Amino acid sequence: MTTVAERQAAPSLSTWERVRGWVTNPWGRPRFLVLVTWGYMIWAIVPVLIAIQFSFNASRSRTTWAGFSTRWYWGDPVDSVWNDPGLRHSLEQSLKLAGADVLIATPIGVLLALGLARWRGRGSRPANFLMLFPLVTPEIVMGVSLLLVFSHVFTFVHTGTLAQILGHVTFSISYVVVIVRGRLFSIGRQYEEAAADLGASPTSALTRVLLPLLAPAIVASAAIVFAISIDDFVISQWLSSGEDTDTVPIQIYSATRGAPLPSTNAIATIMLLVTFVSILLAFLVWRVFTRGERRAAQSTAESMGAFTV
Amino acid sequence: MARGEIQLLDLTKVFEDVTAVDHVDIDIPAGEFFSLLGPSGCGKTTTLRMVAGFEQPTSGRILLDGADVAYTPPHKRNVNTVFQNYALFPHLNVFDNVAFGLRRAKRPKDEVRERVGRALELVQLTGLEKRKSAQLSGGQQQRVALARALVLNPAVLLLDEPLGALDAKLRKELQLELKALQQEVGITFVYVTHDQEEALTMSDRIAVMANGQVEQIGTPKDVYEESATVFVADFLGVSNLMDGEVTGRDGTALRVRVGEVELRAERGEVATTGPAKVVIRPERIELEAYGENGAANRLPGMVERVVYVGAAQQLVIRLATGEQLQALVQNDGAPLEWEQGTPVRVHLPPSALRVLELRQALADTTADEG
Repeated sequence: MTTVAERQAAPSLSTWERVRGWVTNPWGRPRFLVLVTWGYMIWAIVPVLIAIQFSFNASRSRTTWAGFSTRWYWGDPVDSVWNDPGLRHSLEQSLKLAGADVLIATPIGVLLALGLARWRGRGSRPANFLMLFPLVTPEIVMGVSLLLVFSHVFTFVHTGTLAQILGHVTFSISYVVVIVRGRLFSIGRQYEEAAADLGASPTSALTRVLLPLLAPAIVASAAIVFAISIDDFVISQWLSSGEDTDTVPIQIYSATRGAPLPSTNAIATIMLLVTFVSILLAFLVWRVFTRGERRAAQSTAESMGAFTV
Repeated sequence: MARGEIQLLDLTKVFEDVTAVDHVDIDIPAGEFFSLLGPSGCGKTTTLRMVAGFEQPTSGRILLDGADVAYTPPHKRNVNTVFQNYALFPHLNVFDNVAFGLRRAKRPKDEVRERVGRALELVQLTGLEKRKSAQLSGGQQQRVALARALVLNPAVLLLDEPLGALDAKLRKELQLELKALQQEVGITFVYVTHDQEEALTMSDRIAVMANGQVEQIGTPKDVYEESATVFVADFLGVSNLMDGEVTGRDGTALRVRVGEVELRAERGEVATTGPAKVVIRPERIELEAYGENGAANRLPGMVERVVYVGAAQQLVIRLATGEQLQALVQNDGAPLEWEQGTPVRVHLPPSALRVLELRQALADTTADEG
């Protein structure tokens, strides 16, 4: 009894020791890591929140708050996103590019991933490696080289929407390949073999078993393609044919260099919302499709596996 | 039912520089429960995968009811597989998993419902049709995999270590159930396992494989009691292997010298006299009180260790020659007479003593490493 009582007596600690113990106590919560994480989140998110706030400013200022209003979205007859032809057109152009990019790059990327994952033998390793190239090539290099290709080799492709779509597809295919291939490796060949064993032809094994199992990866990669396409500045700019094909990032960039209005913030907010919704949708679809899979750990392993070569 | 006869003729599979299956000849009559038994890497799974159609043989033929199927793709073969980790489609529920094959064969809806129902009844899973595979226990998943394969009325069912992922008790139950199921449906089962007990319990016949080759084919009793090679004797449970020297013949028995004692061995066959391996199963060793060593087939030794294994006690005995033997003494409730450190006389009955050629022993030690 006495020993227990003695052990329970609180040791007297100096303030410094107490602070130290609070942060470094190996049995306690990882408070230091939590602190760093929150520090980073605040650093990253607060400027965005302020930008969003000023998109609702009632005055023309982007720095002085004058009350809440939606005039920069649709209220202002001249300068709102809805009524300014430049802003409105750029929004349409951005959505058009991102939509086309998703529709073209996703199926091609899935097929490439299937091919690369199944291809054994000479050439498969370099091909798998080269697939990563667009991910690491500086975008400006890709923009310049694509412009050269379109202006000297494939001259039937003029700068403008078509060239922009081709450019976006070129660099976004890699993302699809990497994500889908990761999922392919993690599901392995056993389901295909089981399907074949039960009498499914290769086509039927693909459509009945493999594609449903790949669905979460396909949806996730489509969302990422959409997000990076709508965000893209460099390639859209290089392959743009002028005001007509300016995307939102280009508009924001040029607006900021001129006389920026809160409408710039408004259009940026819209972009943010669109991207956020697309990622959220992809996440929900992933969750629904992988619900049947046994271990929760597996999906974490998969999402991480998606980025291993 | 005369369907499901398999003949593997001179079957070989080479992966890049490894020969996984090396000129294997196996004949499996229709309706047999046949096991491929061996350590990992012995080629048993590759053999099974060739029969299923997942691997193409490098050479040789696979005859299924007389027709060569070696180059028929898996989806056109009348064999079905139960995979090691079941490979149940995670996006489909139990009913759709079992119905998968029937739907690919474009069977009418009513027939699908009826046959799936019967298959689930066969494996006692009625009522779980709507569950996803993730919501099933290991044993239930195993049953779904069985139903999914059996619903197609295959000529042959291939099973790749189907009980490997289950716990010991469930495994024992399912072993008996599988055997009963096989007798009920009457088709050929080809069962791959590395668990000798599993193979002995269920099989009509067993092929013991090592290093891509078949070491011995026979009934469980054959391979256990009449092991043809040192590898087989060693792989099928604990075997006591002693170095000996064949000195001659004594009627039908062989005379073998182990250490300073000459033993009679009534089993096994060697071509010439000279060094050989002497084998005896632990349960056939008899222990006697230490005394004069005049009696036949007895060696002096000492109890080195006593290991309690539940149903029996395992005694490790150090012989005067320096070799170790294991003996099993059934646990009948009486206190054990042999304590650690007791000198004993080890009786090796001639009818249980088996002589195997050393040449095979040498070949097998290299097999073990591979």
